[in-house]
Amino acid sequence: MAGEGRFLPAAHRFFPVQGVRLPQPTGPATLEAQFLAHRGELLRFLAARGAGDAAEDLLHELWLKLSAQGEIAVMAPRPYLMRAANRLMIDRHRSLTQGARRDAEWHALASEAQGASPAPAADRVVAGRQALARVEAALASLGERPAAIFRRHRVEDIPQRIIAEEFGVSLSTVEADLRRAYRALAELKERGDEV
Amino acid sequence: MQPDDTIRDEAALWAVRTGDPAFADWDGFTAWLEQAPAHGAAYDAAVLAAEEAAALLAPASNSSNLAAALPAANDQDFALRPAPARRRWAMPALAAAVAGLVALGTWQALGTGTSHVTAPGETRLVALGDGSTIALAGGSRLVVEDQRSARLEAGRALFTIRHDAADPFVLEAGGDRLVDAGTVFDVALGRGRLDVEVAEGAVIVNPDTVAIRLDPGERATRRPGGWQVGAVEPDAVGEWREGRITFREASLADIADQLGRASGLAFAAAPGSGDERLSGSVTLDAARRDPASLGPLLGVTIRREGDRWVLASP
Repeated sequence: MAGEGRFLPAAHRFFPVQGVRLPQPTGPATLEAQFLAHRGELLRFLAARGAGDAAEDLLHELWLKLSAQGEIAVMAPRPYLMRAANRLMIDRHRSLTQGARRDAEWHALASEAQGASPAPAADRVVAGRQALARVEAALASLGERPAAIFRRHRVEDIPQRIIAEEFGVSLSTVEADLRRAYRALAELKERGDEV
Repeated sequence: MQPDDTIRDEAALWAVRTGDPAFADWDGFTAWLEQAPAHGAAYDAAVLAAEEAAALLAPASNSSNLAAALPAANDQDFALRPAPARRRWAMPALAAAVAGLVALGTWQALGTGTSHVTAPGETRLVALGDGSTIALAGGSRLVVEDQRSARLEAGRALFTIRHDAADPFVLEAGGDRLVDAGTVFDVALGRGRLDVEVAEGAVIVNPDTVAIRLDPGERATRRPGGWQVGAVEPDAVGEWREGRITFREASLADIADQLGRASGLAFAAAPGSGDERLSGSVTLDAARRDPASLGPLLGVTIRREGDRWVLASP
């Protein structure tokens, strides 16, 4: 325990916790056991997700990532593992495409928005505004609600269920609005990449 | 509709669905992917397009968007219960409102970063891409600026950070700065209080002012009035991930707040509960199964009032 001789404003020591420790509940099996139990499904999913010959390698990479967390008790291991596998493939796709079109204006912009570029040159700022305007126009063309729902979900990170409550619509309506927005944005990006 | 059109529509819908934390139809998704390689490619395109568009829009969130978002921050940011019940649940709603305001203010000021929000009872793992990870507890909000900086705006998170002396990881939490030196550490932001616990490595709290160094097995708590430093078992750091919550000199309101975030159930402190401080350790499993059973463990009485559990001094 360090701390002696240190200057601590208004410091005084806590007493040791007098808490009651229950025996650990018989929780779910370890993540490793769960991973092994779902290994076949994960491999199949990775292959279907476009991993091809690299599926085994990616499964290994997935396990390295998961095991780096230490022991985690996961309430629903299968969705957790599948989600992690899906995330791995999204990350992989992102880094592959980013490498492939590092110079593409659309993309430079997105990185800037994420803070990757410390001092954007003036022309990139202009390009950024244009890309933003195109995204806003694409969303606006879908109507007010889909555009607002996309912002609320993706920019403000509000769960779909809560958005449905806020807008007084069903969850499937929120889903449908988001689907239209995603599709419009994918098409916008496709066109941009062809330029 | 052209086949291509169908694929794009389906891909967009799967991208929307898999983006929901509650998504469970992985068999359906796998089956769709296996129908054609083009499906996976279209899915990736939709996911990435939405992600990049969101990144572009984030800094542009202007005051009118913020105004539109404000009423919702009152009670809908963190709770998934029906609205009327939530509104009677004043304390957590206030906490959520404060958290929401902080978050909105930050978006306006900085406008960058990816925000991650968990509902009460939900946990999420955020990978920073360099091998570092952040496990986010229930009812929490975290903004990741980049691989080496993040901001905890509400709730609690366990950080497992790759060491790089030349480029330390910096976390902002409730106006304090925590700088790590290759570390596993847990941070909990609650009502006017910040708790930092270190399992591995070291964390420097507010290097520009108090510069408190925390080594493994040490913890610090900031309350109005200053910092207190104490000991923690390194093994107990981040034990919330295993379903255990430990309270140290916590008020009833703190305990209710933490139980609510972790379990997804509604807990509240009885009106007029004072400043008394309680310590104890409970399992989340027990809290979910039978909230009333926590009473004897924490030395409080717990009674049910409608759909919430009220903690009071015995």
